[in-house]
Amino acid sequence: MKVGLKYCGGCRPGYDRTAAMKDIIEELGEGFEVTGADDEESELIAVVTGCRTACVDPGALPGKPLRFISSLEDMQRFKEDMRKRLNEER
Amino acid sequence: MSKLMNAKQYEDSLRKLNLKVYQFGRRVANVVDDPIIRPSMNAVAATYEFAHKPEYEDILTTTSHLTGRKINRFTHIHQSTDDLVKKSKMGRLMGSLTACCFQRCVGMDAMNALSITTYAIDEKHGTEYYKRFLKYLEFVQDNDLVCDGAMTDPKGDRGLGPKKQFDPDLFMHVVEERPDGIVVSGAKAHQTGAVNSHEIIIMPTITMREEDRDYAVSFALPADAEGITYIMGRQSCDTRKLEGMSFDRGNMFYGGHEALVVFDKVFVPWERVFMFREYDFTTMLVENFAAYHRQSYACKVGVGDVLIGATQTVAEYNGAEKASHVKDKIIEMNHLNETLFCGCIACAAEGHREPCGTYQNDLLLANVHKQNITRFPYEIARLAQDIAGGLVVTCPSEADLKSPEVGAYVDKYFKTKADIPTEHRMRILRLIENITMGTAAVGYLTESMHGAGSPQAQRIMIARLVNMKQKQKVAKELCGIDKSDNLT
Repeated sequence: MKVGLKYCGGCRPGYDRTAAMKDIIEELGEGFEVTGADDEESELIAVVTGCRTACVDPGALPGKPLRFISSLEDMQRFKEDMRKRLNEER
Repeated sequence: MSKLMNAKQYEDSLRKLNLKVYQFGRRVANVVDDPIIRPSMNAVAATYEFAHKPEYEDILTTTSHLTGRKINRFTHIHQSTDDLVKKSKMGRLMGSLTACCFQRCVGMDAMNALSITTYAIDEKHGTEYYKRFLKYLEFVQDNDLVCDGAMTDPKGDRGLGPKKQFDPDLFMHVVEERPDGIVVSGAKAHQTGAVNSHEIIIMPTITMREEDRDYAVSFALPADAEGITYIMGRQSCDTRKLEGMSFDRGNMFYGGHEALVVFDKVFVPWERVFMFREYDFTTMLVENFAAYHRQSYACKVGVGDVLIGATQTVAEYNGAEKASHVKDKIIEMNHLNETLFCGCIACAAEGHREPCGTYQNDLLLANVHKQNITRFPYEIARLAQDIAGGLVVTCPSEADLKSPEVGAYVDKYFKTKADIPTEHRMRILRLIENITMGTAAVGYLTESMHGAGSPQAQRIMIARLVNMKQKQKVAKELCGIDKSDNLT
């Protein structure tokens, strides 16, 4: 499955956004592909923000499901959901 | 067609300039590769490079209101309070990545102030400055340029106005008016990032009166225009950068610089003149630039982030991180730093739309923010030195650590824990030294004091902008001096 990725600007992140996303990509492995937010083939867009202010403008993103991730806990839940979907696809 | 340059393209673009730069009494033959100037170039280059990174681009890039094209936010005219808030966040972000002055905010602030002022001059005088300015802005945005916003004149005798100075060049002024443009002379002092800039934008430094008409001038020029000379300012510990990549420099990658910029009978074509003798608009330009630039000190919050990180690290290296007073001092550093962040976010969030469409900060809150900036970094730096210990100023050099004769002694006696290399402790101490008393202290401390106006300038604005009558009215009503219909 393909997931579009959009980061916030990261002025005051409460966790290491890029490292957390890298861990997820490595853990989920084959079949889980992260691509740009504007990739038409992505099923959803993961909006990874450093804090709950989440100042990314959703209106500027393509019209598809958005998954807001603002903490390591959100990231963990996202990972489990993606793992579940991957298992269903397999 | 606009292009977002990367760091390499920016560096290459600087190499094409023919700047006349002097340092230590000699002309600098190769400005870009000069070891003292180079870290400051790296810091500006970071504003280009990070704009291409997905994890930062949402702050560092935006859409031009002129062309609809993607641009670096440092060339943007704010179109909403959200833009202003993102500008504050951009300052913190860049400060937290470089731990120094990245020099590019001042041109952005000059352009935003000019957008407001040129529009207002045209409204009153029927001139065409705003049209000229927008054409210039599009040129800057499309070529992703760095502009030095230059306001501060040397000012000579502070008790006298421009016209009464013994030397007319102590304030930038028009010396000749020609059919194709004007000729100017004077200088701008303390110009941050001047020799890393493609363009220089000149603004008057104070309110001008009618007798000072020739000093009421604003314009933009290529940084290497004929007749412009740059004289680099010295920074504490600057020559450590001549010692190669020694960690004694503290910050291994980035730095800032300032220069005195001299204009000796420099020609400015009319299409680049944005104010010419309209002395009645000098206050507007100065105050708008000041409000933007006082907000820009959001960058110090980012530098504070790095200093706090370094302080926590040295506390851990020293084995002191669990001491209650150390923990409390680090809490205080964070409290002060986040209080600064509150100010730069608040003035932006409370911003307003000017008639030309540009958004400006809340002036009172921008001044309050900058007033805090004149104080809190000093206290944060004091606490950092308190926790770091005396070794921050007595530490031997990297060369001593690596010396075959005494290196073992340095390693032995400055080691705190078996698993912490002495070199790591020395490196983090050098970074704290760099920010609190070395080259970066120019930006973190003294620039915080005097940049965008010295403390008294903000206090004058605070006194002018608060609604004292309203405060008194309610006080008098509540204690029964005056009667009010609003009270039950």
